[in-house]
Amino acid sequence: MKNLMKTVAAALSALVIGSASQAADWAPPGPVKLMIAFSAGGGADTQARLVAEALEEKLGWQFIPEQVTGKGGLNLAAAIKDEPNDGSVIGMVVTETLGYNMAAANAGMTPDQFTPIVTTAGFQMAVVAASSKGWTSFADVVAAAKAGEDIRFGTMSPKLSDLAYLLGKANDVEFNIVQVRGGRAVMDGVNAGDMDIGFMAGIQRKGVASGDLVNLASALSKPLDQTPEAPTMADLGVDFVADGYFLFIGPADMPEKARTALADAIGSVASDTSTKAGALIDSAFGGATVFKGAELDALVAGGYSSAGALLDAASE
Amino acid sequence: MTVFDYIWLGILAVFQGPEAFSLFGVAISMTIVMVLSGFLLGIAVGATPGLAGPMAMAISLPILISVFGFSPDALLPVMGFLIGVMKGATIGGAVPAILFNTPGTPDSYMTTLDGYPMTRAGYAKKALKIAHFSSATGDTFSDIVLILTAPFLALLVEAYLDLPEKTALLIFSLGFIASVVGGSVGKGVISMGLGLLAVFIGTGEDFYPRLSMGTQALAQGFPIATSVLGVLVLGEVFKSLDDLWQDRRNTRETQAPTQAADQSLRWSDIRKLLPYIGRSAVIGTAIGALPGIGSTLAATMGYGSSARRHAAKRPEATQFGQGAAEGIAATEAANSSVSGANMIPVLSLGIPGNAAAVFLILATESIGGFNPGPTVFKFTTDTVNPELVMAFGLFTIMMIANLFNWTIGGAFMRVVGVMARVPKHLLLPVVLMLTLTAIYVQETRLSAMWAAIGFGLLGYLMRRVGMSPLPFVIAFILGDKLEETARQAFAATGGDPWFLFTNPIAAVLVGLTLLVLVLAIRKPTEIKP
Repeated sequence: MKNLMKTVAAALSALVIGSASQAADWAPPGPVKLMIAFSAGGGADTQARLVAEALEEKLGWQFIPEQVTGKGGLNLAAAIKDEPNDGSVIGMVVTETLGYNMAAANAGMTPDQFTPIVTTAGFQMAVVAASSKGWTSFADVVAAAKAGEDIRFGTMSPKLSDLAYLLGKANDVEFNIVQVRGGRAVMDGVNAGDMDIGFMAGIQRKGVASGDLVNLASALSKPLDQTPEAPTMADLGVDFVADGYFLFIGPADMPEKARTALADAIGSVASDTSTKAGALIDSAFGGATVFKGAELDALVAGGYSSAGALLDAASE
Repeated sequence: MTVFDYIWLGILAVFQGPEAFSLFGVAISMTIVMVLSGFLLGIAVGATPGLAGPMAMAISLPILISVFGFSPDALLPVMGFLIGVMKGATIGGAVPAILFNTPGTPDSYMTTLDGYPMTRAGYAKKALKIAHFSSATGDTFSDIVLILTAPFLALLVEAYLDLPEKTALLIFSLGFIASVVGGSVGKGVISMGLGLLAVFIGTGEDFYPRLSMGTQALAQGFPIATSVLGVLVLGEVFKSLDDLWQDRRNTRETQAPTQAADQSLRWSDIRKLLPYIGRSAVIGTAIGALPGIGSTLAATMGYGSSARRHAAKRPEATQFGQGAAEGIAATEAANSSVSGANMIPVLSLGIPGNAAAVFLILATESIGGFNPGPTVFKFTTDTVNPELVMAFGLFTIMMIANLFNWTIGGAFMRVVGVMARVPKHLLLPVVLMLTLTAIYVQETRLSAMWAAIGFGLLGYLMRRVGMSPLPFVIAFILGDKLEETARQAFAATGGDPWFLFTNPIAAVLVGLTLLVLVLAIRKPTEIKP
């Protein structure tokens, strides 16, 4: 809200002075190419486009959205790496892209080659089952597995597959881990009975509210908003978590002025529920979570350095 | 709340929704306006080679959502538009297939086999009428089946098909197509293999982009637009340009065939076509209800099964591939009857049956208020289940779209009949440009254009050596799904490498695949593309 006020004030002063170029300290040198690591039409893609639309309206910046999908955001990372770093090219990925995915891929890229700009929203990552299975807690799943039932565990990234493996290991059971593409596919699989439990990053909200799905555990460092009584990963004996956020990035060494201006602009749109982007983030991802500056640097660095430990733990 | 209350509320939701404008004091609801605009756009898009329904849906969805917002009120107008595009594109696809031997959409490829010979024989308008009649009949039949069975059928199918069975079903589909399409099983299998090879570039679960030889352009894989449009449309354009050039060198005049005076579709014609339409509508509806298999396979199977029957029962009549009206009817009824039935898995399981359904799911996901899945069909009696009302609203939309199809759809087909007179040397460059534009709209990278032209050359070569491009396209569309399902089936069975043979239904399907291949090698099939 504070940022919004700032921008409004800036816009008003621009009117007074009569020159838009003096409105903000920084404006993009031309149209901004916005790379999107998510397939067209989905919730994440819509979020990126609506943020761009809101900024066009509010600040008059121009955006050219472009899909660069695949490999957990690494295709986008490879494409944006050598683009100009003056703020004319930015991309939307998830924090996992610069963390586990980059570490696991070993494709010669490191987070240093990018400038993290701002996060917009976090995942409500949970272990979810269909309520028709009759399980009300993760302990029920472990009990069923120990009784000899094959448990299929749906995941949507290699990192989550590692976590699923460690969850089983910590509880002395072995899951049949089925990795699919995207949270939607996990939810479809769980609903259709192809999988017994699965990781979902917030998409389960409506199903849990209507009683068709049940959150068995939080895969985050903190309890879930929707089901605070569900145990966290630490409660279940796993030292790793799946905290993650939608993240805007740019090429390395972006000038501080550009980075701050972009972060402030995107962050304010994301937190403002009167914009379409903010309304979507509020309804689909449970509200905005904005990290920027030094706080974001620490988050990204932490994600990358802890990836090695998770890889080691999962290959033991 | 009885069942009839729900139906009535669903109908009201469509007619009494937000008002677009009022005509002589009668309020016209936004939803109906959107269904009509979507339908018209769909026909135009389908009739334009190089554009396809899902593409138009992909481009319109973000725009629609920014116009209508995320409130539950937005659901019916947005879905109405998308369903309109989906239905319009299916019938529109037949127009260029019949008039120019260029399928407007991949599923109308089979329509070219008999449609174009009819145009050459001077019966372009009649061929269009047959396509429209079959398409509208198949579509309406499929919608009725959807409305009657949606709550039960998908749940049953899903209950019996687990991941190993789904893998086997995909293998069977590919094996079937490779064997029955084209004159030679060998060429069919090669075509399918090339399709699988192309789709496996840059895809997969691994972080390292496989088969990309270290290049950034290949790392993302080939987008569906470049390969499918390249092989199907550009390949055809290149071959036609070559034909044109050859013809000119032989100083032969290229001229449009003279059209016959009597082009009317009589009741006696319709009666002859009805058994073909009926069989294809059943095949299309059955395939549409299976998650993951789309209208292209339905068209192929509808055509294939009718072709064999036709040759056996009526050897004296015009055969399939030589301008048989029954060929058009069989194809169009089959591909159109997919669109209603593929809403069965969409609505009752939230699983898309084809590319078009993907965008319907994405729309409900972005808008909210309607969560496709088993809960939709819970008939609560004490309270109103708003999702069930929406479901009946969607059924109403489909029936309205059918009404437009029967009325305006036919008129449109008659209007575009004049396009048969457009000379090819003017048309081909336009088609080429539209296709390249359409690909660029989807893939704003220059490398995508080169890839598309490369696939165009491949399509051209395949046609020159008498290899059908269809197994290539279907393998390209299903390849990803096949790999994914097989990988999942392997993981879900706890790493059992024999998962295709230890499950009885899967084993039967694999056996059928081998049987089809063996039979096709022993006896040449009748279908010649």
